[in-house]
Amino acid sequence: QDQLTVKGTVTVQESGNTLPGVNVVVKGTTQGTSTGANGHYEIMVSENDTLVFSAVGFATQEVAVAGRSAIDIAMVASVAELDEMVVIGYGEQSRKTLTTSVAKMDTSVLNNVPFANVSSALQGSVSGLRVQTTTGQPGASPQVVLRGGTSISNPDGATPLYIVDGVKKSNLNDISSNNIESIQVLKDAASTAIYGARASNGVIIVETKSGQRGTTQINYRSSIQMSQLGDFYDLGTAREYIKFARMGMAATGEKHPEFLGRLDMANGFGTGNDLTKNTAFTTQYLTPDNEHKLNEGWQSMPDPLDPSQTIIFKSTDWQDKLFRTAMTTNHYLSASGGSEVATYRVGAGYLSNEGAAIQTGYRRLNFDASGSVKVRENIDVNANVNFSNSSDEQVFNINQIFQRSLALPSTAKFRYEDGTLAPGQNRSIGNPVYHLNRSVSENNLNRLTLGLNAHWQIADNLSFEPSASLYTVQGIDNEFQKSYFFSANQFIDSRDASGSHSLFWQRELDGVFTYDNTFGQDHNFSAKAGFSYFDRKNYSLFAAGRGAATDNIPTLNASSEETAVSSSTSHQVIAGYFGRISYDYNQKYLLSASGRYDGASNLGGNNKWGFFPGVSVGWNVHEEKFWSSIPDVASSFKLRGSYGVTGNISGLSDFHAQGQYSVGSEYNGQPMVTSTRLPNQDLKWERSRTVDVGFDLGLFNDQVTVLFDYYRRVTDDLLQSLELPQYTGFTSILTNLGSLENKGVEFEIQGDVIQNRSGFNWSLGANASYNQNKILELPENDNENNRIGGILVYDRSSGEYVYKGGLQEGGRLGDLFAYQQLGIYATDEEAANGPTDELVAGSDKTKFAGDVRWLDKDDNGTIDSRDRVYAGNILPNWTGGFSNTFSYKNLSLIVRTDFALGHTIYNESLARFNGQFQGDINISKEVVNQSWLSDRRQTDVPRYYWADQLAQNNLFRGNTRYYEKGDYLALREITLSYTLPTRWVKTLGIRNVRAYATGNNLHYFTNYKGLLPEEGGQDSGRYPNPQSFIFGINVGL
Amino acid sequence: CTDNLELSPTSTITSNSFWQNEQDAMGGLNSMYQWFRPQVSSNLYIWGGARSEELSYGLQASEGRERYFENTIDANFAGPDWIRLYTTIYAANLAIAEIPDINFTEESDKSRALARAHTMRAYVYFILARTWGDVPMVTEPIDGFPESTGKERTDVNEIFNLIKQDLDEALSLFPDNSFPDCRCQWSRPAANALKGNVNLWTAKQMDGGQEDLQAALTALQQVQEADVSLLQNFDDIFRYNNKGNSEILMAVHFEDLESGAMYNNSMYVRNDQIPSNVDEESKEVLGTGGGLNRWAPSELLRNQFTEDDSRKEASFAELYTVENGDSTFYASAVTKFRGFVDAGARKFLDDVILYRYADVLLMIAEAKNALGQDPSAEINQVRQRAYGDDFSDHLFVNGSQEVNEEAILQERLRELAFEGKRWWDLVRFGKAFDLVPSLHDDQGEGHLLLWPIPESTRSLNGLVEQNPGY
Repeated sequence: QDQLTVKGTVTVQESGNTLPGVNVVVKGTTQGTSTGANGHYEIMVSENDTLVFSAVGFATQEVAVAGRSAIDIAMVASVAELDEMVVIGYGEQSRKTLTTSVAKMDTSVLNNVPFANVSSALQGSVSGLRVQTTTGQPGASPQVVLRGGTSISNPDGATPLYIVDGVKKSNLNDISSNNIESIQVLKDAASTAIYGARASNGVIIVETKSGQRGTTQINYRSSIQMSQLGDFYDLGTAREYIKFARMGMAATGEKHPEFLGRLDMANGFGTGNDLTKNTAFTTQYLTPDNEHKLNEGWQSMPDPLDPSQTIIFKSTDWQDKLFRTAMTTNHYLSASGGSEVATYRVGAGYLSNEGAAIQTGYRRLNFDASGSVKVRENIDVNANVNFSNSSDEQVFNINQIFQRSLALPSTAKFRYEDGTLAPGQNRSIGNPVYHLNRSVSENNLNRLTLGLNAHWQIADNLSFEPSASLYTVQGIDNEFQKSYFFSANQFIDSRDASGSHSLFWQRELDGVFTYDNTFGQDHNFSAKAGFSYFDRKNYSLFAAGRGAATDNIPTLNASSEETAVSSSTSHQVIAGYFGRISYDYNQKYLLSASGRYDGASNLGGNNKWGFFPGVSVGWNVHEEKFWSSIPDVASSFKLRGSYGVTGNISGLSDFHAQGQYSVGSEYNGQPMVTSTRLPNQDLKWERSRTVDVGFDLGLFNDQVTVLFDYYRRVTDDLLQSLELPQYTGFTSILTNLGSLENKGVEFEIQGDVIQNRSGFNWSLGANASYNQNKILELPENDNENNRIGGILVYDRSSGEYVYKGGLQEGGRLGDLFAYQQLGIYATDEEAANGPTDELVAGSDKTKFAGDVRWLDKDDNGTIDSRDRVYAGNILPNWTGGFSNTFSYKNLSLIVRTDFALGHTIYNESLARFNGQFQGDINISKEVVNQSWLSDRRQTDVPRYYWADQLAQNNLFRGNTRYYEKGDYLALREITLSYTLPTRWVKTLGIRNVRAYATGNNLHYFTNYKGLLPEEGGQDSGRYPNPQSFIFGINVGL
Repeated sequence: CTDNLELSPTSTITSNSFWQNEQDAMGGLNSMYQWFRPQVSSNLYIWGGARSEELSYGLQASEGRERYFENTIDANFAGPDWIRLYTTIYAANLAIAEIPDINFTEESDKSRALARAHTMRAYVYFILARTWGDVPMVTEPIDGFPESTGKERTDVNEIFNLIKQDLDEALSLFPDNSFPDCRCQWSRPAANALKGNVNLWTAKQMDGGQEDLQAALTALQQVQEADVSLLQNFDDIFRYNNKGNSEILMAVHFEDLESGAMYNNSMYVRNDQIPSNVDEESKEVLGTGGGLNRWAPSELLRNQFTEDDSRKEASFAELYTVENGDSTFYASAVTKFRGFVDAGARKFLDDVILYRYADVLLMIAEAKNALGQDPSAEINQVRQRAYGDDFSDHLFVNGSQEVNEEAILQERLRELAFEGKRWWDLVRFGKAFDLVPSLHDDQGEGHLLLWPIPESTRSLNGLVEQNPGY
């Protein structure tokens, strides 16, 4: 057979980057080579040979030479994860010998969507984390909670500790997703104990990209995105609104004739409006003076209450005015490279993200630089700098814009007759175009991280790594309220302005000694010991004024009167000593133990220091001889178990233990110095003890991996506000009381389902996490179960009135209660025979046809607060996601979904639209199509009343029909991408080009009727998360 | 590193660094108003006036306020809880405990400071006792985690003993009979007014009898020795630019940038609620609108004013729509506290008056009448100012004790409407079931005179029993 030389370049399919270090072996032989720094290889083969390309982290590919002399290969990142390297606290470890619970995010999630906030990428892509998008505001951080969190009082506020390139941070805001190398989540206490002080809520370790040896690689990524709402509220048209609102007013007037005057007033459905600027709505009777409007797009209808009169009106769709198709552009340019002595990477990015709601947006500039120099044979010095400058515009009030303004009655004037914008009813339920334009709000943040660290190999087995960092955040905000019409006839020109400047400043100094050795053949031992010093200061300066003479100057220099000036500073220091030893016998029996001793300045004088140990063991069963008797399908199996104690003081402000007298307020010009917080010098660390057992299973030669964890975390000494009895004069005191349990299971399955059959690959990843919390212990307070809060309801099983909800030993966090709607009375007679309803407003409790028939739980003939029933829980118990990557040669398709199950949302907006709690808000289509009417008696939507709470209180009291399941499956991403064949672009001197089209947040499969189903609890308007369509290109030179 | 963990704050004061000198003492004493003023801004009206016949539905959603004037409160909707009253007591207790150990430049300033703390504590317990009857008694400031968290209610008689002790202590401590400039801090005349009020209550509600009536009358008459008088023009008492006028004994100060609005912002009318065909006169009275008309003067109250009563227009406005010459009642609004207009917005920042001289005069009349003396001089003083030139038509002539009592109660309605006094007046005079329409059918249900303890309050303190009947 003829020998020939085959040459080629190996690239990464996702990014197009060339890939060094790929093994290229002739199948069935030991003959082989590996790719160089630029991804090139050259090998002598026979023309009928097959080449095998393999590299850690990538799917192995076999390619028949078939006589070719040039073979370029794009390697597909493999999701098989059992041999991946995992970053752990102060080190790195192969998953093979890992004994703790660590999840690694698949970074391909970052390839296509230009995340304004990197945390969003964690959604559905990591087990054990509940990540919820609670707002569609660009740049906003999602809610991230690990394993249910550790907080009783604020279950959503238990944020993990983020460590970005060794620097502790409280969020991932303003980091460019283009600069992320890896994201990992340390979940169990044994893995996080080495971060002792603030590790209870998990540690998320983020590493940014750094330079690699080899020729300089230049990468440019760019995308353009269009976003718009996928779902809108189904609201009534102006005609429907007028009809139902006038009938609803008449309905309320049956018992409360004092309100009937509103029918003639200048409100949304009243006929007291005219064409002048004195009224905010268009609704009015047809007269000779206004009939010309019918030729200008106005409509008419008979007055439903008096068909002899004609009402004319103009319809405006406020959702259409508030939301837009928003444009987002993202650019990131980077260069990296290096020699044997030094490597570097520099990058710069710009993101401009318009919000789907007008006048909202987010912009960010990023500068990233890192470098590493071998200053001596045994000393490496690394430095990195990250700078970001971001700014955003947000609406002035989420509820007022996303519940009220978007549902301003469609009869409101958008423009007056002279063409100027009308203000709507008033600012809190106004014309969003007018009011959002009258308020100026600019928030600017500069974040700078400077990091310096070194690796000193003191001896063969001993090294020392010192590091120092400075992280500063500077915030500059400016707000200005231009003069404005609060309502049609109230003009406000106080021109309130404010400016604030804040500085956050954090220094850290760490040093770690590492000793590694192998004794005999099989005893692998390593040890770490180190110290850490953390020092954080905050400073803020705020000033406000009013009385500017003009709208044209939004800054304080124009204000004629100062209204507030203040500055304050605060300080925290945490110091710690830590260590870890790891031992394994021939990678078969694994043991690791760690501990940290931490002290914090804000703890009580009696308990500043705490010790946090962790221990974990593992057994690689497949290393045992008997494993050969197990069927081949199971290629590896490791059992793991861990136990550890971690701490948390995130809920503790800087000088909390010492009590506080507040200053700054006045009474008749005299200063008031007010005792606002009771001292408690006994405050100590919150302690979480976590047991975690799990296994790592490899199937089909580890092409499919399954990770499983069961955990139980009990947090004692909870830093919790103990609610005090009211005679103390204080609502609460912060103490270490109570105990919370979270337990659950986590699954992760990743695998290459189909690989390398004629170039078609399909890899699948799935994860699911289940968490359930239980309150184990609360402070003694003379109540049964030491209950705090809660409501008195009838319990059918015991036949007694009992307290449910609130916080109780044995209970759960976040239970909701409401009145159960059984149906709607079809006739007055049926209503008259029902129980007396104490919650009907006023002294006349008569119920009518169209009113809700409530569950009389205690069968006492009276509906009162004790008839409330359990209506769900605010927290999801199942969360997870699925991702599928299909690739065929240069084409790939990614489909990612994620889900959450078990949370209940009180759709207060829908209840408000159906019950007109506002007095002047639009109706939902449910009112139009389903509400009780004399000729539509069988329904589950009550008769429409104006101001339900003043009428029959069918909705306002909390009606179970509006406590909706929030369960959803989100179609989070679909990406189709194409990598141009190397031979096409090579002639242009381009290494690779990848183009893609992505749909992001395409759809929520959910029964929830609101716009954003991700967060449980009350929905009184949320900034919806828009759909986005993205076109992007990555170019490598 | 351990030394670095010992930090002290720069921008806040901690418990062990305060209460060192006179300035601390005055700042700490003033902090009573940090808690008290927000209670006065609306809850004081709710406790003292809302369950009476003064108000009814307004133009805007009443958002639960109807539960008061309809008298349908229960343990789940029990009105404001007492926590911030107890915080005010805590601040007073703290001042009473700390001030004696602090050196003042002038000893008289020190005793005045202590006297103010005692008077405040007495006033707040007086609110508590009238509203809920038995309440927990706290006379020491807590200074950390409380030993036991539950505390039972103390018998209301003991609460009144504490109130009277505090007032006697205060009256002996006040160095003189003067007022502070703003008349917005407690003074000896104000403490005497309070003492009179307390003793009238205990005389009539707690079997205090003649002794308490006499104590009331003596204290009230001592008020007259101070620099107080009726203003010529009724409306002037309440005007924003006339705060601290000579009719005022004690008011709680409200000011822009210092406090929030007082309760009239839910009794006034916003412009967009005024139809274009409302009569010009009413429009003029209201001027720039503001607030929301969530409740409004009731028809029953409005009809008790005659046209020649200068207090009518100064207390409320009636709006009529005019259509084809027919005028129809449309709405009413409280104008007594109309604040001022700034940059297009009406700001309801009038002081809330706790005691003023006309109130004292009518209490003197009440005490005299109960003691069998002629109350007509005081009643006529009040009426003379109210009716001016038409006074002769309204001259009060001494009648039977019962008739006099009725007249005094009605005079108090007209004089003190919306000042947060009416409900307590009705209870003190024993007329709540007769005069409040929503209570007509509840004759004999005496428990309704006290308020229910909110469930939320009881859930935090298992030892607090609910008031019987709720």
